[in-house]
Amino acid sequence: MASTTPTENEYVTLESSDGFQFIIHREAAMLSGTIRNMLSSAGQFTESTEGVIHFRDIKAVILEKVCKYWYYKARYLNSVTEIPHFEIEPEYALETLMVADFLDT
Amino acid sequence: MPQGSNKIEFCSRCRARFTIKAGATPAVDENDGGLLCPTCASSSSPSVATPKARPVKRPRRKAQKAEIESQVPSLQDLCIQKIANCIEDVEGFGDISDLSMDKICRIISRNRSLNANTLQLFLDSRHSDLSLYDCTDINALGLQNIAQFCPSLRSLKLKFCGRIDDSVMDYYTSHLSQLTSLSLIGPILITEASYIKFFEAMGERFTRFELKHSARFSLKALKALCDNCPNLTHLRLGDCGQMDDEWMEPISNLTKLKSLRLRNPERDRVSTEKVVKLIQAVGSGLEELELKGFVEIEDPVLLDAIRPSCVRLERLNISGCEEFTTEAIQTLFKDWTVNRGLSYINLENCVMLKDEALMAITAHSATTLETLNIKGLDELTKDALLTITKCENLTMLDASWCRAMDDEVMEQLVKSASRLNKVVVWGDHRLTECCPSRKGMKIVGREGDFIDLRFM
Repeated sequence: MASTTPTENEYVTLESSDGFQFIIHREAAMLSGTIRNMLSSAGQFTESTEGVIHFRDIKAVILEKVCKYWYYKARYLNSVTEIPHFEIEPEYALETLMVADFLDT
Repeated sequence: MPQGSNKIEFCSRCRARFTIKAGATPAVDENDGGLLCPTCASSSSPSVATPKARPVKRPRRKAQKAEIESQVPSLQDLCIQKIANCIEDVEGFGDISDLSMDKICRIISRNRSLNANTLQLFLDSRHSDLSLYDCTDINALGLQNIAQFCPSLRSLKLKFCGRIDDSVMDYYTSHLSQLTSLSLIGPILITEASYIKFFEAMGERFTRFELKHSARFSLKALKALCDNCPNLTHLRLGDCGQMDDEWMEPISNLTKLKSLRLRNPERDRVSTEKVVKLIQAVGSGLEELELKGFVEIEDPVLLDAIRPSCVRLERLNISGCEEFTTEAIQTLFKDWTVNRGLSYINLENCVMLKDEALMAITAHSATTLETLNIKGLDELTKDALLTITKCENLTMLDASWCRAMDDEVMEQLVKSASRLNKVVVWGDHRLTECCPSRKGMKIVGREGDFIDLRFM
């Protein structure tokens, strides 16, 4: 459905290269500079009208990690309590770094 | 004093002369009863003091907010920290491709986190190429480790390597026995003697040398390079403070040169005749020639040197050579049949150039040209810009500050140059937000993208 009721707009769908879909809060996804540009550019791109973004180069494991990070960041962005450490598995650290660089996160 | 006329007084506090408008009562200093100028009066009156206090508060609030935000580190930082912490397990990353390794090095350098710890990640005895993009945080010992851990390096590139000193350079000289290519950006500590030793050891296997931002690289060192390394094919010297006329002669002995890039000599140090002689000597082999920022050199370089000698030339960069005239460029490219056409031309800020110059270029290199930079040539008119459409293989065009660039020219370009994927148009005010584009083509610097339509 292309109609834009606010409830539908609340979430965006991110699809990984191996076909997993992550449906996450628009606000959380907007913490990525790249996604923010994709979703809020003035032109009528399919990404911004339908709220679905395909990442052909990002595997599900990594995309999941990045989504978790956005929620982590959204949760603790303005908190005054102590922030727990965000755990990254060392075996994924390099790939995550490359994806984080691409997503400007 | 007549009614209705202004009065001139001196301020009792700052001694400045000021005018009291007719009928107005000037402010009085509370301490000594003298008159105050409007500036001093407003600074002491409480009603004006509040807006002044506000700007002090605002940035503080912003800074506080920034502090809170920065408490959540970016994912990139977290990953780099993790990688740095696990550096001992570096064997585990072994099967990553060289390309992604280089990419990671770029990311880490951009985040300014390349240090002795993270450096370990990129050192491996199997590596033959190594590029480090920011060596600011690596000390001399760390830099020396490069030669220790990667003894089979063929090519080494170090950017911002200000901490590399003579002892490290000597260590490279004695340990990197397969090195053929070296690139140093900003090696401020290495002295002449060390360079000479290095070039003597490199000898005939040395093929590429790049040096930028070095005030200590001297004529003697250059002579050692040219005498000992006759097989040099690529030479790049930029922003070397000592570069002058005498440098040109040793370079002209390097007859195997394919690529020569000289950049930004000091003013009045390099003359036209010497450059002409140099290019006449080495020009026949050159595929790439860069003379960037040679502000004083004149037309003979184009007419007597480049036109007859540079038969194989494919890439030409004469950006910032302000003395080149339209007529010379025209003569260079007109019927230049010995040259088959250039793929890269950079004329940035050659401010004297007019329409005929660009027309001659597009007529000569129409089928071969891939990258064209005409930034800052604001004398160009639409007629000349339209001739760019003849270059059907163009992939990148920088036409910033070419005021005649408009939607029509752009439309023609989009139509004719099917491989064009990047156009830079800063300061081209005639391009509107409706200027034509197509999928996969990037237009950088369009004015309409930055002006909010709500205010128009």
